[in-house]
Amino acid sequence: MRVIDYITVSFLVVPIIIILINNLLSKHIAKRISFYLVGAAAVLQIAASVADFFLLPYYKLHEYKFTLLWNIDNPDSEYFAVNSLSLVILFCIGFVTFISVLIAKHTIDRKKVSYVNLLMTLIFGMNGMLIVTDLFSLYVFLEIVGISSFVLIALFKSETGLEGSFKYLVMSSLASIFVLTGLAFVFMHVGSLQYENISKYILSGHGSSRLYLMYAGMILLIAGFATKSGAVPFHSWLPDAHQSADTAISVLLSGIVIKVAGVYGLIILSRLFDGIPAVNLTLLVMGTVSIIVGALLALKQDHFKRIVAYSSVSQVGYMLLGVGAGGTLGLLGAVTHIFNHATFKCTLFSNAAALHEQTGTLDINDMGGLHEKMPVTGFSSVTAFLSTAGIPPFSGFWSKLLIVMALWMNDFKVFAGIALFSSIFTASYFLRLQKKVFFGKVPNKYEYVKEIGGSIKYAEIFLTIIMIAVGLAFPLALLYLKGRGIL
Amino acid sequence: MEAIIYICLGFMLICSFLVVRIKSMLKSAVALAAASAALGIIMYVLGSAWAALIEISVCSGLVTVIFISAISLSNTDKKELQKLYEDKKRMAYLPVVLIIGGIIFIFVALSTDSLLPQAVSVAQEIDNFREVLWNNRQADIWAQAIVIIAGAIAVTVLFKEKDTI
Repeated sequence: MRVIDYITVSFLVVPIIIILINNLLSKHIAKRISFYLVGAAAVLQIAASVADFFLLPYYKLHEYKFTLLWNIDNPDSEYFAVNSLSLVILFCIGFVTFISVLIAKHTIDRKKVSYVNLLMTLIFGMNGMLIVTDLFSLYVFLEIVGISSFVLIALFKSETGLEGSFKYLVMSSLASIFVLTGLAFVFMHVGSLQYENISKYILSGHGSSRLYLMYAGMILLIAGFATKSGAVPFHSWLPDAHQSADTAISVLLSGIVIKVAGVYGLIILSRLFDGIPAVNLTLLVMGTVSIIVGALLALKQDHFKRIVAYSSVSQVGYMLLGVGAGGTLGLLGAVTHIFNHATFKCTLFSNAAALHEQTGTLDINDMGGLHEKMPVTGFSSVTAFLSTAGIPPFSGFWSKLLIVMALWMNDFKVFAGIALFSSIFTASYFLRLQKKVFFGKVPNKYEYVKEIGGSIKYAEIFLTIIMIAVGLAFPLALLYLKGRGIL
Repeated sequence: MEAIIYICLGFMLICSFLVVRIKSMLKSAVALAAASAALGIIMYVLGSAWAALIEISVCSGLVTVIFISAISLSNTDKKELQKLYEDKKRMAYLPVVLIIGGIIFIFVALSTDSLLPQAVSVAQEIDNFREVLWNNRQADIWAQAIVIIAGAIAVTVLFKEKDTI
């Protein structure tokens, strides 16, 4: 066996092993070490995805196929596969999990073992979605992500948590029905749900003929995955779910779950149905509406986490624009934005955790002038805001630039204009947030507020460094990709 | 054979309509069970014995039991609940519109595509099922195992009285 065989299987095996260890240990030991187990799993995932990313060109592979204990040579057998695209998102999963556990060390003091169990099933589900090569398997892994997310939101059984979880459950069930029905329609036409076969079928020209069921299948699939991604008009569940969950869980939902369960599904669809202009146009329109509506709704909110949640709706719009623009550049823009969005959403939710811990509230009207009292939180929050708004040299600038360039080059000039113009909306809602929370006069009751310590502070520092470093080093990454022939 | 399919389809439509229109939740759950039993029969007649078995045992058996026990366990007064949803009446005809829309769509789709699948004999179906499940669809088996684990964790997290760990 080669090194890559062992490394790649770890994406599925490590979560299972962690669940086993976590449940076989005595409760007292499990309670003490469960967070360290998750931290180790996250670091392993980061290391494995980086190693695989560099091993693929070493073995001269475009994609690496593997199975988990079954014979890949059976005719028509399914197989798992990793490629550069899925490896970047696998890296993001490890990264966000690591930040989540750093925040959880502060915010979660009971039900630690359950949190770790659910987190691991969630990661197994997301990893699975990224490595399957069959739409039906994608759906089954999507369900794992769904179940784990509902329970994580409702973990502490607070009234708002249960409400948020219930809304997500209802919307998510609808999405599942859409996806499953869409799959049935596609299966009736193609006779297989493997990515390869569907691509071949579409490329052979069948997809463009007037087949109502095929179109209905596409519409249902897009609607299903768009619901999971929280894009407008399917966004109603997202703010409630993100606001009511514990911050360690909001960071996961906003940082990675909506992207893997939603945006990645749409990426797959746009690749499978490549050459059908209606699919791209739908994604572009949905993306544009999400950017504008998400930003306008964020302007009206007074709860810190709610603003950040609506900001996710708006940023998912940019990813959809990248996917809809098509071509390698658009896809690269979308995937880079997935990573960048993960970093700045992690930062903003770490800020939320720090503010809640130190002031006891997240109502931005109650706050003011906290920059003096909490300099690290304030500085990281401003960096995240500048990065989200796409101000150079921060990381967010590059991904937005790539998306706008892709739109311009593929002759979607109106959408490129709107994408550029919409950065003003992003700046406006975040300026309002920054002004109310970190600038102005400190209210008397916060006279003795201090900077947060421990793991959240380290997370904030770590994330700020990443946002600046990625922003500065991004041209080098582009050169590397060009050297590898990806760009 | 075709007559059975049409009778079952009609029965299923009526039951589905009743599910959303009946005011008593208990009767609604029973109607749902009847609808999925009809669907099971259609599946069997069309030659998909395994799917029929799973449909009848899970949907009309297990799910109905869960529904009925949940309804009988909940303490909310039925009349109060109905009052709460009184203002939702304006949406009452949505199911009818959806059903009619669905039927029209199916006719349009089938008349243009003519893609009704051919029925396969039951014995062959079972053989295929085994082969497909154990040889070709093992990724799904792994995923199903984790779905069950996630479900078990969910039940312990949400329904355990004491939550110290």
